[in-house]
Amino acid sequence: MNKLNAYGIVAEFRTSADILHAAERVRDAGFRKWDVFTPFPVHGMDRAMGLRNSKVGWFAFLGGVVGYTTGMLMIWFMNAFDYPLVVGGKPMFSPFFAFPPSYELTILFGAFGSLFGMLFLNRLPRLHHPLLKNRRFALVTHDRFFLVIESADPKYSETETRILLEQVGSRHIEVVEE
Amino acid sequence: MNKNVDKTGLDLSRWRQVPTMLIVFGLASVGLGFLVQPPEPIRQFAFSWLLSFMFFLGLCAGALFLVMAHHLFDAGWSVPMRRFLEHIAALFFPWVFVLFIPIALMAKPVIYPWMTMTSPDHALHAKHPLFTIPGFYIVSVACLLTWWWLSNRLRYWSVRQDETGTAEPTYKMRFYSCLGIFLFAVTLTLAVIMWMKALQHQWFSTMYGVYYFAGSVWITLGTTYVITLVLQRRGLISEVLHNHQFYFLGSLLFAFTVFYAYIAFSQYFIIWNANVPEETFWYVLREKGTWWWVSMVIIFGHFFLPFLALLRIDVKSIFPLMVPLCAWTWLMHFLDLSFNIMPVLHPSGFVLHWMDIGCWAFMAGLLAKAFLRNFASTAPYPIKDPRLVEAMGLAHPVPTQISGGELDETDEIPAVHPQIHGGRL
Repeated sequence: MNKLNAYGIVAEFRTSADILHAAERVRDAGFRKWDVFTPFPVHGMDRAMGLRNSKVGWFAFLGGVVGYTTGMLMIWFMNAFDYPLVVGGKPMFSPFFAFPPSYELTILFGAFGSLFGMLFLNRLPRLHHPLLKNRRFALVTHDRFFLVIESADPKYSETETRILLEQVGSRHIEVVEE
Repeated sequence: MNKNVDKTGLDLSRWRQVPTMLIVFGLASVGLGFLVQPPEPIRQFAFSWLLSFMFFLGLCAGALFLVMAHHLFDAGWSVPMRRFLEHIAALFFPWVFVLFIPIALMAKPVIYPWMTMTSPDHALHAKHPLFTIPGFYIVSVACLLTWWWLSNRLRYWSVRQDETGTAEPTYKMRFYSCLGIFLFAVTLTLAVIMWMKALQHQWFSTMYGVYYFAGSVWITLGTTYVITLVLQRRGLISEVLHNHQFYFLGSLLFAFTVFYAYIAFSQYFIIWNANVPEETFWYVLREKGTWWWVSMVIIFGHFFLPFLALLRIDVKSIFPLMVPLCAWTWLMHFLDLSFNIMPVLHPSGFVLHWMDIGCWAFMAGLLAKAFLRNFASTAPYPIKDPRLVEAMGLAHPVPTQISGGELDETDEIPAVHPQIHGGRL
């Protein structure tokens, strides 16, 4: 049989409560590669999907540590090592006067860390997505709610996953090709 | 309805005698302190008393601030904690007044050298008329009266709302908070200048009031966290708590950890950078002997340790980590106040005297006793506060982040409201 190369299975829901409860069932069924698309943020969805706290914080933290170290090293290198310069009778290098610029670099690199960490974790930028080929999916920006289980999920099975999604109350289920 | 005087039913069981034991221990330690004959026993006692007084003054002032901040932000999440904070703030009268009497008596003969200067130096002259003996007492009494008035009015209207359930007390409390926050800023700054900074009157730092404020609110938040936990475990406020209260208290503790470090560093940095002898002498004294190591402990223990410990989002709700950290804030704040007060008495290095411990234990016991009696006299939380329902995480009539609580932590309203002490929701 000429099987199409499936990206995943997409199920449509009419209300936020429907999709919230569907997400709980899919979470409990043990799926890992799946996502929910809604026209607006649905409160409690993080918990319903079993999402953990984001890892972006670690990128921000690392960015901050790198920023602080960079600031301190830069000022030490320029003022005390490469071109020693006496300013106001102060020592060539002191962490006190190097602190304000280092602190600002901490904030800057921390912000970079969170921004680029977020993009990295979301695998962005991405110019196209298989779901965009699905015409009904355009309604996600209007009044429909979609739950997508990817074929890359180890528990994915075109027939059984479809049955599960029917059981959790979806009225319209489609397979989306890659 | 309640025949019992105790309206809360707080059962401290085996901890019940702790305040009395602290008082007895404190008196015994002070007595012992006199017996071991320090070089200047009266002076040592005066400084120890001042240190502990400033410690507990900060706790009362911090509680008053948190109550006012609650009203100023029209917060919903902090309603369950507001009542015991009102009781802590209400310790201003009569207890802080009473504890101030020894300082008022010993100010001229023992504590403040500027009061006995025969010919005022330039620094003292420039601070006239504030730094005169009438100036000192007028400022002291004015500060204490202001705090009494504010803490008394805020608690009065809060308790009144328990009876009436009307909106009027909320508006009254907002009025006192809006006025009070300005009075509070001015009086606390003045008090800290007169009582603590005046130990070395030549010194000046415009950040000193904020410095004391930041440290004081820091320990108040740690204390609030622990009291909330105790009351929750004892089942007194558990029915009106949601899981966000501990997270928010932990976040505020984290915020004030950073705020304190920011103020402390800025004060040091500006003085270090300007390098003017009139200002630097204060820090030079505090780098001598073991004071150097105390300053290191403050940098790492007052800032870095709690900062790194509180950085992760989940730590704020992990009680086995948070409770020791809250106790740690008390230790660090005590050390910080020692660093500010004690080098005048012990220039060569840090000394932990029996009288330091004694005065602290005595005041802790006395104030704890007074607090527990106040606490038992009213309901354990504002039972008819209009925002109580938000604190419980049940409903957000206006879905904004500032109306209290993370929105995604909101539960659906149950069909039947839980009945709270006969109060209507």
